[in-house]
Amino acid sequence: MANFLSHPLLRRLAAVPPAYYVFGLLLLILWLARPNMLNPNVLGIFIRQVVPLGILVLGQLLVMRVKSIDLSGGGIILLINYLITSRTFPEASGQDFIMMALVIGGSVGLLNGYMIAKRRVSAVIVTLAISIILVGFVQFLSSGKPPGDVPKYMNNIFNISFGAIPLPVLFWVACAGLMWVVMQQSVYGRFVEAAGENAEAAAFSGVPVERTVLMAHVLAGLIAAVAAIVQTGSIAVGSVRVGLDLPILAVAATILGGVVFGRGEGGVWGPFFGVLSFAMLFVVMTVFGIGDPGKLIAQGLIILLAAILYGRRSGRI
Amino acid sequence: MIAWLRSGFSSRRSRHGLWAVPLVIVLVLVVVLTFGTDQFASRENLFNLVAKAMPLLIAAIGQLFVVLVGGLDLSVGSVISFSTAVLSLDGPVILLLPAVFVLAVAVGLINGLVITRLNVHPIIATLAMQYILLGITRILRPVSGGEVPAIVINAVQGNFLGVPLPLFWGLFAVGLAAKILYGSRYGLHLFAIGGGVAAGMEDAARNYGIRVERNIVLAYVACSLFAALAGVFLAGRIVSGDPNVGLLFELDAITAVAIGGTQLSGGVGSLHGTVLGAFILVLLANGMNLANVSPFIQTAIKGGLLLAIVGLQSRKKMGL
Repeated sequence: MANFLSHPLLRRLAAVPPAYYVFGLLLLILWLARPNMLNPNVLGIFIRQVVPLGILVLGQLLVMRVKSIDLSGGGIILLINYLITSRTFPEASGQDFIMMALVIGGSVGLLNGYMIAKRRVSAVIVTLAISIILVGFVQFLSSGKPPGDVPKYMNNIFNISFGAIPLPVLFWVACAGLMWVVMQQSVYGRFVEAAGENAEAAAFSGVPVERTVLMAHVLAGLIAAVAAIVQTGSIAVGSVRVGLDLPILAVAATILGGVVFGRGEGGVWGPFFGVLSFAMLFVVMTVFGIGDPGKLIAQGLIILLAAILYGRRSGRI
Repeated sequence: MIAWLRSGFSSRRSRHGLWAVPLVIVLVLVVVLTFGTDQFASRENLFNLVAKAMPLLIAAIGQLFVVLVGGLDLSVGSVISFSTAVLSLDGPVILLLPAVFVLAVAVGLINGLVITRLNVHPIIATLAMQYILLGITRILRPVSGGEVPAIVINAVQGNFLGVPLPLFWGLFAVGLAAKILYGSRYGLHLFAIGGGVAAGMEDAARNYGIRVERNIVLAYVACSLFAALAGVFLAGRIVSGDPNVGLLFELDAITAVAIGGTQLSGGVGSLHGTVLGAFILVLLANGMNLANVSPFIQTAIKGGLLLAIVGLQSRKKMGL
């Protein structure tokens, strides 16, 4: 088994992020079972559903590359969704909401980053605690009752599509492209790579490790705010439960995309296809009439197998 | 004695972590609640409190084992739901009860082996297990229902010599964990492994001849077993199988462990701290209910407390 797995060709193949294989396999299954489902209009609608997750993943992959994690995205999405839909600010325009979301996301990210990078507190606990606080705060504000409707113009923007391609999907691709440029071209991208691979070596080479990690969390908070606005546009009525499972799903999609704690061969497009795989999984499960339990089991098995195959090659992750 | 007490206030001096701060919080809460509300010190409320605390306490003790070796188990909540679902199946209790624990051992073994042998990060491996097990649970029992064997219900809801039985469950779990952690070579090895991981010397324990992999696998098995025990207890309390009863329980268990002064990087932590952490969570909820604090702000206060306590324990290394 070990000899077989160390064959050069297999090692080359194992270096490809699992997300591409999973996506391809699911596409093949769909093509064989229901070729008529493979038209852009149907797929566009399914993919549109995962855009908030896809945007959140862009932040998650950034913090996971610097050996951190961010579980506070659910709280950020919930709070922003509540503030927009509850009519707490009846006079606010779209720009006001965007500014407000970015301020909330940025400050939560800054607090996360300060606690993790400067105070060296466990990232799991800090971001979990912040999420608990935000969720409790929203529940307190709303007394557990669902808030009001989403402003009509947000739904309208979300529903725009160019031919078969919905606007949110284009926006997601643009965000991912921007992230890719930052990771590939900017000095900050290099810092992230160095700090993630070996924080000590990076610090000795003059990389501002603390600042890099802090900045990663601020960016992740801002990205979560953007995801919150898109998520709000995707639903008609506000909710006090929206988005709570997204951070864990984002971790799962990031792993599937070949980015694990401290290593990032999957880049930005690996996790992108990780999210697409989850969308395809949803389509395939719906087509075959497999319910929620089957979906959970398939999701778990995919994450596990992806991590096992990837762990073999990259050593301890 | 004084040195021992002092060490509990600092996370740097002691292997037991910051356990005296949670002790002070528990004492303050008890004093405030006793004098601030009429009902708190009543027999009924205290019994109710103990029964509420037990599942969390038992699950948190299990979580402590894996946190001590620098790991994390996110599948605890699913194991709890799964255990109640198995226990509520049709079948003789003599089969069902052992089956719950055998299946828990299997879950722990898979978690531990995937983490140690296949080099998967604990968060990823146990997250996958959480999904898979939740799926299986929902197949076994899509909605809550079924019948729990009478012997389990009696063992949870009865009294013995005027003392409610849940207290004995707690004493059993704490006693067992104390024996393993502080009265056995295995417990010492857990602290040694975790201490090495936290200091960035993963091989330190191995170099002293400790079988690191095997001990870590056993920690995950112990965690699943305690979770299954919590599941059996909960099944006796709600008298049915429920696929959602354990939802987010792993986060509460981790919260209790962390509030008790145990560090998630491993090697530093204590059983008494974890017991105190579990009681803080339950006392907060109970006390604020009695004091008519909105149940919704309770969640926020819990999060704030968690943040404050981990903020007191800065570590050398950045990370998860």
